[in-house]
Parts: sequence; C-alpha cells; structure tokens
Amino acid sequence: MTEITTGSPVIGGYAHAQALDILAASRPEAIKACAEDVLTDLGGVTVLANRTGLAMLPFVDTVRNTAFHLGEVLVAEAHIRVPDRGVEGYGAVTGRDLEHAMAIAVIDAAIAAGHRTDLVLEFLNAEQRRQEESDRERLRKVEATRVQMETF
Amino acid sequence: MAYVATRGGERAIEQAERLFRDDLGTITRERIEAVRNGLPYLIDRVMGEASLYEPDLAALALAQAGGDLYEAVLLLRAYRTTQPRLTVAEPVAQTDLFTVRRISAAFKDIPGGQILGPTLDYSHRLLQVGVLKGESYTPDPVIPAAEPAPAVQPSLATWQKAQGLIKDYPAETVAPDDIPDLTREPLLFPASRAHKLQSLARADTGGTLALGYSTMRGYGSVHPTVNELRLAEAPVRMRHPCGTIFSAGRVRVSQTEVVSKAMELELGFSATFGWNEVKVIAAATLDLASNQPNPHPASNEEFVLYHTEPVESSGFCIHFKLPHYVTFQSSLDALRRVKTDREEATAGKIVAEAEDQSEEEEVAL
Repeated sequence: MTEITTGSPVIGGYAHAQALDILAASRPEAIKACAEDVLTDLGGVTVLANRTGLAMLPFVDTVRNTAFHLGEVLVAEAHIRVPDRGVEGYGAVTGRDLEHAMAIAVIDAAIAAGHRTDLVLEFLNAEQRRQEESDRERLRKVEATRVQMETF
Repeated sequence: MAYVATRGGERAIEQAERLFRDDLGTITRERIEAVRNGLPYLIDRVMGEASLYEPDLAALALAQAGGDLYEAVLLLRAYRTTQPRLTVAEPVAQTDLFTVRRISAAFKDIPGGQILGPTLDYSHRLLQVGVLKGESYTPDPVIPAAEPAPAVQPSLATWQKAQGLIKDYPAETVAPDDIPDLTREPLLFPASRAHKLQSLARADTGGTLALGYSTMRGYGSVHPTVNELRLAEAPVRMRHPCGTIFSAGRVRVSQTEVVSKAMELELGFSATFGWNEVKVIAAATLDLASNQPNPHPASNEEFVLYHTEPVESSGFCIHFKLPHYVTFQSSLDALRRVKTDREEATAGKIVAEAEDQSEEEEVAL
C-alpha cells in the first residue's frame, strides 16, 4: 500500500492524511464513541454537509498506462464547521454510514483545533495498531499460499 | 415501437407483483447480512456489473430480486442515479493495491513470486452434503506463515517492459476529472481505450465469457496465456477540502493481463470491481483480440462492447415479453392483406384465364 505520510504531523507523529486513513478504517462503534467524547466540549457545530454520494474510481491499465473508470463507490461524507474555534472538519468513508463520516469530521475538527489531543491520539494509536495487526495477520495467511512451481 | 396499456389490468399487475414478493417472503436485516457475508463472490459480480460498489446494497438488491442477477444489477444502477457524484477519486496504481493473490501462467519465476491466495483452483469440487443432514461444515484453518507477504507487488508488465520484452507506452497525464466517462458520454466507435476498459469493467460476466471463450476457441487470432492475474483491495483516495489526499476505505478489485503468443508479445488488460477472475480473463482476451487488425466479428470492438452491456442487453431481451399488440396486430393485418391480395390475384388470374380460354374456344368455332 502507498501510505501517504507526507506532510507535517498534525497530531502526535501522524500527518493529516495518515490520521484520516486511520479514522476511515476504524471500527464504527469505536470511532463514534471517541467522537462523542470529543464533541462534549468542542463547542457548537454547524453541519455543512452530511450525505451519501458517489466517488468515481479511476484505475491505471498496466499495459498501455491508460487511466479509465473502474466504477463508482458509494461513500458517506460529512463536513462541519466549529465557529467558536474557527476550524472545519471533514470525513469520508466507503459505504453508507453517515455517523461514521460525521465522527471522522468531528475528530478532524478537534485535531485542527488542538482539542482533546490526548484522547484523539490515544484513539489513533490504538486503531493504527489494530489495523496494522489485522493487515499483518491477513498477509501471513496470504504468504502461506506462496508456491514454488518447480515443486508443485 | 408501439405498446398498448393493459386496460383493466391494474389489479392483476399488483397481485402479480405481490405473488412474486410473496414467494420470497419477508426480507430481514438478517437475510441481507447472510447474503452479504455468505456469498461475497456473487456480491462482487453484481457490484462489478452494476458499476456501483456497496456490498450492503448489492445484498439487498439480490434479496429483493430473489437472486435474479439482471434485476439486481438494474436495481443498483437505478439506485445509483439517485446519488450525487461527490468526486472523482485519485487513480489507482499498482503500488496502491493491497494484494492477496498474484499468479502468472506464462512465467514460472516472477519478481515477488507466485501467491495463490484464496482460490479453489487446485481443489476437488465436492459438495459437503453432510450439511444437509445438519452437520455444520467448518473448513480447516489456514496455518499462517511466520512473516507476512508483501502488501504490494509490481505488475508483471512493468518487469517485462524493463526487460524489453514488451512495448512500453508513455503514461498519459490526464486529470481525474478529464478521464472519459461512459456514464456521462455516449460510447462511440472507434472507442477510446478508457471507454473500452470502462465498458469491459461493467460488462456482463456471462456475455463477456461467451465472447471471450469463442475468441479463445479460435473465432479470432488470439490464444491467450494469463500473464498476471491479481486479486487485491484498492484504496478510494479522496481529497479533503484543505487538499489532503486520504483513503476513505478499500474496495475489492481483480485485474488480469493476458499475453498472446504471436510474432511479438502483446498484452491485453482488464480490471473490474470485486473478485471475478472469469470476467477479467475473458475481458482481457477480448481487449487483446479487438486490438488486432481486422478482428473476427466475435471480438470486434463494437460487437463486444454493445452486446455485453448487462442492463441494455437483458432489458432488450425481456422487453419482447411485454405487450406488442399494436405492432403484432399490424403485422397480422399486413399478412392478411397480402394473403387476400394473393387470393384475389389468383382468382382474377383464373377468371382471366377462363375468359381467355372461352374466347379461344369461340374463335375456334
């Protein structure tokens, strides 16, 4: 995977893209609970958008390097503003879970405002560990299927 | 084309729909989850042909359609029209793919090695009939390797290009928003490669297989070998309002390169949503075959792309069962008129011949 870690850290050692990646791949119930905690004293929130919609996904052909559209992916997105703190938050996640998207947006706004950094960082660390472990376990099973055709 | 409304049939139509749904019973959240979790390859197929990735909706479409694939694809395509286009995501490159299966039938030793991944390719196909007697079937667990497989692998074509085995093509610099899009533009011929690959990505699996198989059997000049087959998960990378590009999640994709054994190595390509190996192998074969000069009609670009569109082809097919009374009555009227005209002409000819004969007899007397 191309991990987008470029850019300055916005919280702990996480670049903005990396934090958003982790939040989108988080367990829905866990991120919603974290967002609830963050929201408690974040201040008034204005919802600019909270909807489902389509993201067209282009793919690059390996033969002639032609980019073409593979199809559309349904995504849920949320865009909020926190006027008291002068920040905005945005989240998007594949699927129809508007609350998950909103939770990402709330935490994104909290990161921008430097609000509840300890809580958010703890959540990011825990989710990153879980996601990396999940991928690692999957890839260990995949590696078990490596074949040497001479001995097949 | 003319149709007539079925007057007085409203009640029958409503009851017919009720009867269809009555046979399927109550659709519950549990049923949808059972379909989604238990039949992921069917879900993949429906999402690929619908060109809309959302497993829950695909499971719902299948449940509502009672498993009728064309109805399910139509339901998803119809749902898609209710949703706004939020963005065009960043293009997926090979280095983005979380790869779980990558094999080559052309080269034994490929960079990165051959990973079988989840497959039944070398398995006995046996029904576990004990399940029908109440014995649950639990497969043996995978014994994981000590270390994980690499998450990303380069495409085999990249290595072949570096070796000078196949022609390289310069990468096109097209902004995502400017990539040709069949959902916004008509399919015209000769089709752009972007349109062709998008059309194959959303093509009907069965139709693609039928035409691809005919090409493989000899109705065309291409006999393919799988250069690389890959199952993976691709990130959907979107743009945050501040410009940050991030992944909103991953979707399952399959892709294939096929290689011809002609005078020089030539490759065909296909990719689609979901894990659907038959479709991408057949579609990559059709891509390769349609690039040949004077392709066989079975692999002619226009023939292939028009006839593998699942909604249009199934819709055209089943529309023939809808009332065609006016057009058919018109044909019947024409047939009757021709018959009457012929009979009158024949009768007139007989009368004329009889009169002629009578005149001849009179002359003879």
